[in-house]
Amino acid sequence: MELLLQQIANGLSLGMAYALVALGLTLVFGVLHVVNFAHGEFYMLGALVTVLVVKSLGLPYIVALLIAIVLVSAVAWVMDIVAVSPVARKPGGDQIVLVSTYAAGLIIVETVLAAIGPTPIAVSGFSGIVHFGSVVLTMHRVFMFAAGIVMICGLYMLFTRTNFGRSLRAVAQSDYAAKVVGIDVERIKTLTFVLAGGIAGLAGGLIAPIITFNATMGLHAGIHAFVVVVIGSMGSIPGAVVCGLSLGMIESVLSIFLGQHVAATLIYSLLLVTLFVRPQGLFQGALR
Amino acid sequence: MKTYKKLVAGALLASALVSQAVAQEAVKLGVIFPTRTIIGEQAGHGAELAAKQINDAGGILDGRMVELIVYDSNFSAVDGVSAAQRLLTQDGVKYILGEISSTVAFAVIPVVESEEALAMLAMPKHPDVTNSGYENVFRLNSTSQIDAASFGKYLTETVKPEKVAVLVQNDDIGLTSLEQMKQLFGEKVVFSDIFDVKQADFSALATNVRASGADLVCVTAANPEQSGGVFRSMADVGYSPKRCLLPGYLNNDLPDVAGAAAEGVFSQDVYIDTIDSELNNTFVKEYLAAQGKVPGKPEVLGFETVWIVAKAIDAAGSYDDVSKVAKVIRDTQWESPRGKLRFNEIGQALTEKLYNTVVKDGRVVRAD
Repeated sequence: MELLLQQIANGLSLGMAYALVALGLTLVFGVLHVVNFAHGEFYMLGALVTVLVVKSLGLPYIVALLIAIVLVSAVAWVMDIVAVSPVARKPGGDQIVLVSTYAAGLIIVETVLAAIGPTPIAVSGFSGIVHFGSVVLTMHRVFMFAAGIVMICGLYMLFTRTNFGRSLRAVAQSDYAAKVVGIDVERIKTLTFVLAGGIAGLAGGLIAPIITFNATMGLHAGIHAFVVVVIGSMGSIPGAVVCGLSLGMIESVLSIFLGQHVAATLIYSLLLVTLFVRPQGLFQGALR
Repeated sequence: MKTYKKLVAGALLASALVSQAVAQEAVKLGVIFPTRTIIGEQAGHGAELAAKQINDAGGILDGRMVELIVYDSNFSAVDGVSAAQRLLTQDGVKYILGEISSTVAFAVIPVVESEEALAMLAMPKHPDVTNSGYENVFRLNSTSQIDAASFGKYLTETVKPEKVAVLVQNDDIGLTSLEQMKQLFGEKVVFSDIFDVKQADFSALATNVRASGADLVCVTAANPEQSGGVFRSMADVGYSPKRCLLPGYLNNDLPDVAGAAAEGVFSQDVYIDTIDSELNNTFVKEYLAAQGKVPGKPEVLGFETVWIVAKAIDAAGSYDDVSKVAKVIRDTQWESPRGKLRFNEIGQALTEKLYNTVVKDGRVVRAD
């Protein structure tokens, strides 16, 4: 029982990491109706900025997180200008964006590899251990989970209580209808892309102390996020959160019985099953 | 007659120019490593240092400089074969040096054989890498069998664990080492698990291995972010048994990544930077000056690939006569930063000993 509880706690922590990365990806799909293949690289950049700010500038971890959000948002804004907006407007643009963001992602990875090299860089977050009865978690995992909850609540407030949120949901439903009621659709799309970048940057900064930064970490995280987003319905914020947490728990708990590599493989099996049984995902249309 | 003299003079001048050009033409050595990984980068830096030392000393074959042509094998058999083919057929190289992965090595060797070239492999550990039947294949790293024999003796006679857990990456090296540990310890292996080579979160794995109650946990992971992640996650759940990395993977990147969680992790290896010899002292000093950190095994094996092949070409007096160069490699006892080494009849480097190593005060040092 103790082992099971510990693995559930581990799974919630792992699942929050999945959900944090998946949030931005699903947001972009929900509003822009495109898949951003460079999303994992935003996450990697968030981790990189956090690591560099803490280790090179000696600034506190929390400050590094804020800087990561700002800088990765800026990178996302540039990418939107260069590789998303101009492409997405063209006929068949939603498909071309797959390629243009993939290319942009490769450029980011290669640039980081050239500048930083493949050496992994560790950074400390919040130190200490927290005991919940027999369950043990590091302080940083607890912080990451709490920060994830705060961010999810913040996004909910943003989408439901602000003009930007209402505009964003309108664009998610229909570009045409949003234009008719006077919403600057292109501006909303750009802001959404920047917001998604910032979320990914925060996710990278939050997870970096747990898994160690390396330049190729975005690829693997991006694949996991894609699985979460597809199962939870592309464009669904609740879907990304619920499926991220669920997949993390499933993976951790199953590792007790099946071993690590089999449990991880089952996640991809769940993706296949979902595509066969409910190709639209489990939470279709929830952003709307 | 005047025209004839002019022609002879012209021919002599052209001949002199051509021979001067040939004399100055660089000796090209092809190098393949997964250059975008830390271990590939480290080995590549070692290879570069060897070329620099040889060139600084005047080069080989009467003053010709050594030029490395480096391609990324990307831990992929397809990319490795592509890189080897490009080196052999487009770049005109006859010597393929380097590589980390046995899988890539298995794929590259037939390409090397088809071009009658020579392969000096740095780090592949699978025993069969030097059993292809092609005589111009050499390997510098110890094999998993050599490691298992030496490390197994150390574990059973010195460490003497009661319960053993084995955690390995999901590739040929990891799975081979898992089988060897099971053979060595039999029922004492109370827990084993296999993790993906790209896995990043080891909290679930650490929880499961803690539940096993093992007093010795042995890990096989090529990348320090993974071995470091395992040891950190074990420390996070308050589990601190004896911990070892199977031979070949413990270097100073582990304490950099895992911090205090790496303290006490032990292993064995063919090289430790504190070996006191003139060649090693120079190697460490120059590597430190160039890269800002002390070298480990990947660096020294990368160094040896270029160092030995270039010296063998020089001793053979020929770049093109690959068989002659291979004979020199086989017949010579080589001096390297790790000490003296020889190649046996199948091209396997035989080194004097494996060193016991341990992480102490944030650094890998000799344990004995």
